[in-house]
Amino acid sequence: MYQSDSEGWASSKDLRSHLGHLESELRFLSTLTGISIRNYSMKTEDLTNTEKKEKSIMKVLQRHRLSGNCRMITFQLEFQILEIQNKESLSSVITDLNIIMEPTEYSELSEFVSRAEERRDLLMFFRSLHFFVEWCEYRKRTFEHFKERSGPARRGVTSLQPVVCRDWEAETKRLHSRDRSQDQCTKEKYPAAVHLPEGAASSCMAVQSTCQPGFELVIVWRVQIDEEGKVLPKLDLLPKAPQQALKLDRNRVLETAPLSFRALLGTLGIEAALESLIKSLCTAGYD
Amino acid sequence: MEWANDGKSRGGVLAHLERLEIQVNRSRKNLEDLQRAQAIESALGTKIHKLRCLRDELRAEAKQRQARVKASTVNVEPDQTPEISEQEIAKRRKENVKAILQAYRFTGLSGKLTSRGVCVCISTAFEGNLLDSYFIDLVIQKPLRIHHHSIPVFIPLEEISAKYLQTNIQHFLFCLCEYLNAYAGRKYQADRLQSDFAAFLVGPLRRNSLCNLLSFTYKVEPRGQSFPFCARLLYKDLTTALPTDVTVTYQGKRKYCTFCSHD
Repeated sequence: MYQSDSEGWASSKDLRSHLGHLESELRFLSTLTGISIRNYSMKTEDLTNTEKKEKSIMKVLQRHRLSGNCRMITFQLEFQILEIQNKESLSSVITDLNIIMEPTEYSELSEFVSRAEERRDLLMFFRSLHFFVEWCEYRKRTFEHFKERSGPARRGVTSLQPVVCRDWEAETKRLHSRDRSQDQCTKEKYPAAVHLPEGAASSCMAVQSTCQPGFELVIVWRVQIDEEGKVLPKLDLLPKAPQQALKLDRNRVLETAPLSFRALLGTLGIEAALESLIKSLCTAGYD
Repeated sequence: MEWANDGKSRGGVLAHLERLEIQVNRSRKNLEDLQRAQAIESALGTKIHKLRCLRDELRAEAKQRQARVKASTVNVEPDQTPEISEQEIAKRRKENVKAILQAYRFTGLSGKLTSRGVCVCISTAFEGNLLDSYFIDLVIQKPLRIHHHSIPVFIPLEEISAKYLQTNIQHFLFCLCEYLNAYAGRKYQADRLQSDFAAFLVGPLRRNSLCNLLSFTYKVEPRGQSFPFCARLLYKDLTTALPTDVTVTYQGKRKYCTFCSHD
């Protein structure tokens, strides 16, 4: 696209290259903070009255509007900053903060948002939002990883029908006597059924052994934001087993499972702990 | 009921033949109806097919026309007005981007790209009060290094950069953010104590540069005969603006009281 005068063309080129430079700065900040600001505008209102002018005190009220997104969460902020300039110093105080977030399914966020609004803590809001979203994405990836790598084994397992646990002792004897090699599942997959009850962005993962469908482990993974804005994962294990199994459990393994899981998390970390948990389900019948 | 042999049986046969005739007529009629319906169906089928062909033809023609119109507009000589408006668009976009870049200070981290690398600006705040900003100029090279900065000397910058600068810039900057925000918060609180509660203080407020050790004497009533208390606040955790140890002594009798805000 050429213009008739070369001067105009030069400034247009400058404009474009300058714009390109600014846009790459924007991309850098967006990656660094994890926050993409799409729109921003500000209006100022001079609140200085004649009395203050005499004492050389200036008061300005700024009204800011900001919108953008942090991955899949979009936000819209409106806040006011009161700037007071006197002889010694300039003070800037956020006097009002309103935050609208979407989607609203993340229940942990609504409490956090009202806390941030109350405290008018804009910086903490953005920082915690970034980490919260990162943890949610990590949780989603981890759960999906385990879901993909599990499923009923392709060959060898005979008991895909639900086990009726009426005669539990006889059942366990039968399982013990069965040849273990028959139940060796293909190496790539865990012989367990992983189910995400709440869908892709689920906060819990249910693991059911295909050999012993009466047993189910539900791992609940919540991402919490504490009073000071620190984002922490909180994992819990909820085991489920048939009544008769509980009666046989003299070592109280099932009762102490949630605590043991916490200890396991501390030692192995989240991924390894979940993996060992899933693996332990299929060997449970043979010990 | 028995049929009689002659007349009655003949009546029986005739009646039977009648019945058969009625049946044949009925089935013939049904067949005719069926054939008629089928004829209608096939006629409609052909009509549908014809209409579909017509529709496809019209669609193709519409597309062709659209393409022709598009092609013709491209070949038109650009006159002044669209060109200027494109520049206007770019200008407006530039203003928008500039404003957004300014707005990033509200996230805590903002900055700009430099010829060497990047200059990051860390903003601090405490309870809605916007406080000082600090900058750190990074040179993008292997290894990454700090060109210069405005971070106070008592913030453990070397320690933090040794841990994170080379491996994870984001973590390095977030960590620095934490320390600087906590320091700014402590300093703000100490300043407020000194200015707003001057009437309650007996003597000066003693503090170190990190503002994580404060010591002062205060009275419960600004005037009057109440006894002064000596307070000592220690902030062991440099990433928070709340003290971890508080000691209050009452002269003569030591009333020792500590609280820990962290385990």
